[in-house]
Amino acid sequence: MSERHRLRSLLRLAYMNGVVPMRTQPLYLLSVLASPLSFLFFVTIASGGVLLLYGIAGGMVLTVLSIGTSLQTDMSHYRSDLKFQDVIVASPVEAPIYVAGFALSELIYSIPGLAVFIVLWAINAPVTLMAGLTIVGVLFIVWGFSSALGFTLATYFADVRETFVFSSLVSLGLSVLPPVYYPITSIPATFRWLAYLSPTTYAAFLLQGAFGLKSVPLSDGLVDWGVLIAASVALLVIAGLKARWRDP
Amino acid sequence: MPLAVEARALSKTYTHSGKSTVALANVDLAIPTGRVYGLIGRNGAGKTTFVRIGATQLAPTSGTISVLGHDVMTETREVRTHIAAVPQESRPLYFLNVDELVYLYLTIRGMDPRDARRRTNAILDELGLASVRKSLVNHLSGGMRRRAMVAMVLASDAEVLFLDEPTTGLDPLARREVWAAIRRAIGDGRTVLLTTHYLDEAEALSSRLALLEGGQVRLEGSPAEIRDRVRQPYRIVVSGVLGRADLEPYGTVSSVEGGYLVFAKESPARELAQLALSKGAKVSLGPVTLEDIFLQVVGRAIDSDDAGEAEA
Repeated sequence: MSERHRLRSLLRLAYMNGVVPMRTQPLYLLSVLASPLSFLFFVTIASGGVLLLYGIAGGMVLTVLSIGTSLQTDMSHYRSDLKFQDVIVASPVEAPIYVAGFALSELIYSIPGLAVFIVLWAINAPVTLMAGLTIVGVLFIVWGFSSALGFTLATYFADVRETFVFSSLVSLGLSVLPPVYYPITSIPATFRWLAYLSPTTYAAFLLQGAFGLKSVPLSDGLVDWGVLIAASVALLVIAGLKARWRDP
Repeated sequence: MPLAVEARALSKTYTHSGKSTVALANVDLAIPTGRVYGLIGRNGAGKTTFVRIGATQLAPTSGTISVLGHDVMTETREVRTHIAAVPQESRPLYFLNVDELVYLYLTIRGMDPRDARRRTNAILDELGLASVRKSLVNHLSGGMRRRAMVAMVLASDAEVLFLDEPTTGLDPLARREVWAAIRRAIGDGRTVLLTTHYLDEAEALSSRLALLEGGQVRLEGSPAEIRDRVRQPYRIVVSGVLGRADLEPYGTVSSVEGGYLVFAKESPARELAQLALSKGAKVSLGPVTLEDIFLQVVGRAIDSDDAGEAEA
């Protein structure tokens, strides 16, 4: 396959799984927003509005993180139930194109949800070019590692129901327990080190800095970006090494 | 010219929870290009395992298999440019309509959009799907969905097509439409590796057949060659008047609903038919069917795990 054909395959996969379902299954779009908005609502009400911006930052992270869990569920379903992955394996389409196409499709599908949080951000926080670039950069990296994680996990489950268990745990471990929806200072100091194990903590730090919720010294910012990028690269490498395209 | 598919000492053993199951054991097959090659056998015989290995979806345990001269393990990328597959029990993506299913599959494979559009229109017409082209596949019957899956790969430019039970669930008319499309595909010089439970389908479409049982090839050849190897090539069904003892001198007798089935050589078969008619019994005489041979071979294999030629 030439590069042009690879790109065409990738875009067609993204269109097929991202754009077409918006037309044929529009109600599913609401499900993308359900969890992130629920947490935002809860955090805002419980804090008397104080944590609204934290909730918006958390909502952005969770929306993009959900791409990974959606990808995991979709790919498990397409692989185990529909045998669609086997159809594609027996074709010139290579595994990275398949994964990237589906990851892009999930991103496209989450755009309406992200748009809601971007509007909320624009209404409630100072909008600057640097903040905008930070949001785009952070969400792009979170999209990369959540997609890699989703694909890797999807290839290991024979039954799609098993993936629901893991996607719930992944969501819990990466978006609810880490300080994505609230400041890290809310976590008792003894347990704070646990938060630093999750790459989403660093994503949240960068977004919270972009929202003006905390000052981020250059050195801290570099560490946050570094950890986030390193975690993403690691997950992408693991996906490349461990994900199964041909069954053993 | 290379063979479409060539397997040598191909073996596959599945291991689950410490328990091993042999799915293929030293299978040798040479499948020529430009034909339909049928793989028949009962459930668990190894047909799907063979197809999945050839279609690069599953790794063998040992042995080699090549497609158009390219090894599926070491030249996988090259193999995948030449193949397309409809897996067993596969279903189309439910949120697409029939037209999108075929067209997007072709363009995802890398086909030029104009070519993909032309081929999509042609195959939907050919397989009787044009009237439902804008219907969501989720709203179609199971048979129509299966036909849509077959349409996808037949419309592709792949030279070797792996069709794993492609007509399961189709009504007789739809099956024949798929048969016609498969015949047209081989008319274009392509090769179809077909697995099926329908022996009439295997016989109608395949220029050569292999009967798999217990992961091994028990019979291989053209339908005519397979029949030639049968020592008692005629089947006579007799009902009424004559009993088993009257029939046994003529051949191998088994009970069927309302009478007896006798496998016999040509001369005894004629004699028996004349006898039955003279006694006023109902009688039908004809060559053995593939199903007769299948039941004999598989039945014997189940009884004694003894391979060999059919002796019906």
